[in-house]
Amino acid sequence: MPFPLRIVVVGGGTAGWMAAAAIASVFGPAHRQIRLIESSEIGIVGVGEATLPHIRFFNRRIGIDERELMAKTQATFKLGIEFCDWARIGDSYIHPFGAYGSRLAGMPFHQFWLRQREAGATTDIGEYSLPIVASRANRFALPAEDPADVMSTFGYAFQFDASLYAAYLRSFSEARGVQRTDGKIVDVKLRPGDGWVESVKLESGEEVSGDLFIDCSGFRGLLIEQALKTGYDEWTHWLPCNRAMAVPCENSGPLTPYTRATAREAGWQWRIPLQHRMGNGYVYSSNFISDDEAASKLLARLEGKALADPRPLRFVTGRRRQTWNRNVVAVGLAGGFLEPLESTSIYLIQIAITTLIDYLTERPTDDQGRFDPRIVAAFNRWIEMEYDRVRDFLILHYHATERDDTPLWNYCRTMRIPDSLAHKMELFRERGRVVTYKDGLFLEPSWLAVYFGQRVMPRSHEPGADAVDAATVGAQLARMRERIQMALTRMPVHEDFLRAYCPATPAPIVGTAR
Amino acid sequence: MSIRSVAVAGSGPMVWIAASALRRAFQHLQLDVCVVDTGATRDARIGRWTLPSQRGIHGLLGIAEPHFVQQTGASFKLASEHVGWQGEGSRFLHAHGEIGVDIGGTPFYKFLQRETLAGRAERPESFSLAAAAASLGRFARPAGDGKSLASSFTYGFHLEDVPFTQYLQAHARRLGVREAAAPLAEVELDEAGAIRALRLADGGVLQADYFVDCSGPEARLLNALGPAARDDWSDWLPCDRMWSALAPAISHPPAVTRIVAGESGWSWRAPLANASMAGYVYSSRFASDDAARATLQRREPSCSPSLLTHFSAGRRRQFWWRNCVGLGAAAVELEPLVGADLHLAQIGLALFIELFPLRRSSDVEAAEYNRLMAENADALRDFTLAHYRAGAPRAGEFWAMTRASAPPARLAEKLELYGASGRINLLDHETFEETDWAWILMGAGCMPATLELQILLRLAKLPAQQVNALRAQIQQLAASMPPHIEFVRRQAGPAAGGAH
Repeated sequence: MPFPLRIVVVGGGTAGWMAAAAIASVFGPAHRQIRLIESSEIGIVGVGEATLPHIRFFNRRIGIDERELMAKTQATFKLGIEFCDWARIGDSYIHPFGAYGSRLAGMPFHQFWLRQREAGATTDIGEYSLPIVASRANRFALPAEDPADVMSTFGYAFQFDASLYAAYLRSFSEARGVQRTDGKIVDVKLRPGDGWVESVKLESGEEVSGDLFIDCSGFRGLLIEQALKTGYDEWTHWLPCNRAMAVPCENSGPLTPYTRATAREAGWQWRIPLQHRMGNGYVYSSNFISDDEAASKLLARLEGKALADPRPLRFVTGRRRQTWNRNVVAVGLAGGFLEPLESTSIYLIQIAITTLIDYLTERPTDDQGRFDPRIVAAFNRWIEMEYDRVRDFLILHYHATERDDTPLWNYCRTMRIPDSLAHKMELFRERGRVVTYKDGLFLEPSWLAVYFGQRVMPRSHEPGADAVDAATVGAQLARMRERIQMALTRMPVHEDFLRAYCPATPAPIVGTAR
Repeated sequence: MSIRSVAVAGSGPMVWIAASALRRAFQHLQLDVCVVDTGATRDARIGRWTLPSQRGIHGLLGIAEPHFVQQTGASFKLASEHVGWQGEGSRFLHAHGEIGVDIGGTPFYKFLQRETLAGRAERPESFSLAAAAASLGRFARPAGDGKSLASSFTYGFHLEDVPFTQYLQAHARRLGVREAAAPLAEVELDEAGAIRALRLADGGVLQADYFVDCSGPEARLLNALGPAARDDWSDWLPCDRMWSALAPAISHPPAVTRIVAGESGWSWRAPLANASMAGYVYSSRFASDDAARATLQRREPSCSPSLLTHFSAGRRRQFWWRNCVGLGAAAVELEPLVGADLHLAQIGLALFIELFPLRRSSDVEAAEYNRLMAENADALRDFTLAHYRAGAPRAGEFWAMTRASAPPARLAEKLELYGASGRINLLDHETFEETDWAWILMGAGCMPATLELQILLRLAKLPAQQVNALRAQIQQLAASMPPHIEFVRRQAGPAAGGAH
């Protein structure tokens, strides 16, 4: 098959425009011809979206200027996520984008912290994490490159307005030759014989044909499911939330460089500060609360005046059985859904897109226009692994709780979890050892944050941590805390940094208490 | 109750490596480590070649390399040379080093693939300092800061087992490892089915909290715990015997293990400081022991085959069972092709140290250990098997059998993806890296159908003169190294000659 490859992106929104922008940027017009079809009738829920530090690799790869992006999307910086009331009501911890302390004698830092704790020390593990300390103080500065500098021990992500993000990527994509069509797809035409997608038919009557279709049509999966019947693996028995109410409100108080997730009676509530307003939402299980009640609870718990009516969302947690089926690749909600508890939605979109870009070959299809099944299989294995690893980490948040105040928490506390997670938790309980892996999300510090933050405490530290004498351990740990405190004094207030680095255009609506 | 004592049972180098490493790692716990001899095992051999990770073992044990080389009569290993694996006349190197230099995040071997696909065949050997030095019979240690060409390789060793074991034994003694007065007679279990003590041939009893089984395929401790489930790999890897022998020194030997395909297996030849070693690895389904012995004699007339080694490709499902951990052939049996036996045992040992049990009952640690070691072992199996499966097949019944059954799924997936686009995806716990796979796949003449578009776009920015300069620079650097054997003898210092 000769280039350019004709790529049809079905659906705008975050997934669609990320796909269009990335492919248009990495491959030139000689190799691809991209058409994106979206319907202005179908709106986007753009209340605010939190990201992970990986988005910066995406930006760099496709050539997005970070400051410009932040200014255009009302963005704020994000150093981590604060979790409130998860193990017990009144608890709070931050899952930071960065490491805790530094290794001693080749052993992980937290083993020494555990050992000190067993001996009666009371320091919080958060005192050894610069992004946590900075978050608590509402401060931010860009990380340093020099690995010897404590300022190099963290990463950062963004919190931005998802509808502005899509708009930004749209202009980025159109400048690179992506052709946008406003229209509703009314039919999908499959090729007789092998059932590959030949074309999509618009309401206008136009038929858009292509070699590769990227399905970004959301939950319904217009191509991947409705046309190709790919199938879906449901994970609701482990992650029971299936709905959300979302509403923006006015900002009040300082802009925090972190997202907050507060456990509620039937789910949890997000709080994402943007420059111009706050994104809020209640993620819940319809088995445990009604839509009306969820909406009224959400409105009652806002920190500022609501700026719109709550918008309902429905979803089924799980993963499409094949992300890439025939000539359709499902990206975003069409490919699967994991609740936004750890801000993984955009990450999973990004992984699907960059993996697709990486795997496309010089001769993407054969004479019959078919993609190599060996590449498709490898792509699907990779995406599957990414989803599975995020899944276990999310389940941990629900399961590691002592809460018995509502039926949802009773269910989650006592549910049967995947064997892979049960093993991880047991090993940590026994000796504070984190099961790690080479690829996929969430490294040791992430697991530590949630274990410690949700009261999964090891019975003992590992014997190797006894190799260093107590006085040395004490002195080293004290020094680590001091270095962090010293660095903190040099970090500007988050809001001041934003104003200098990437003030929003147009200027943000000033919140009531600001 | 914490672990205060460990008994290590077995013979050969791994016993002393395990005992020394445990002793050093838990000095602060005053861990008592005692070695119990189990006599010669079925997998005893004349010698071996190691991966570069052997240098890490030396670090772990506190062994100074020049002293080690001097005392053991070892030589260095920059590469394996595979002869005849893809039919008569075929030959390739797998060197312990980089192929070229990274092109802005894209591995250089992709450039070689592009050239080869375009009909301008290029060999990885021309762009590897390790391979160039190996071909010229030269050697020097890597030098420089990790980014320079002179540091773009590493090396392993060729070792004769008797002096190697003696050296390790002396080292263990210096570290305070104890030795039981008599060899193992019997394993005594407690009510829970764990090992209580080892009964010795002189009637003595050695008690310990924990046990390490280095007794080879016999697995005398693990097998005493009860019947064990095992994965059998012999349909994929039918070799199960090896004749080996010491031989006279090769004149001007390169730092290379030479591995030559034969009728019912493969023969090898490796240099030592003042001698050499040779062996023939074969399948008893295709050759009798006498015939195999004659084959080795014919191929290496200067040696007199003296030692017959038995093994059976496969692994246990549980390497750590109750209060006993198996290392080496007690855990995993694999033909010595890729020289990874000590490496795998060392990974097991390091993992056992990391997961060192807090008490005798340690199911969760064992579960984690078994999970990780299974992955490590399967990865080594796959890499070994890839030598038999890649490229053009060699004629003969034995060689046909190595390709007769479908490969393990994880290897099939890897080879299929490579065949489609040249991508080499590694799983979580693989010893051999992307470059190692590139060495053997490209060496075997295995080329992808096409390459990834994004890779080609990046390669387009690579100027041709840079490639030619690199090739010249590598040849020049290799030529500036001393001859391998000179380097070895220089390690040995004035007291060199006649070590064993």
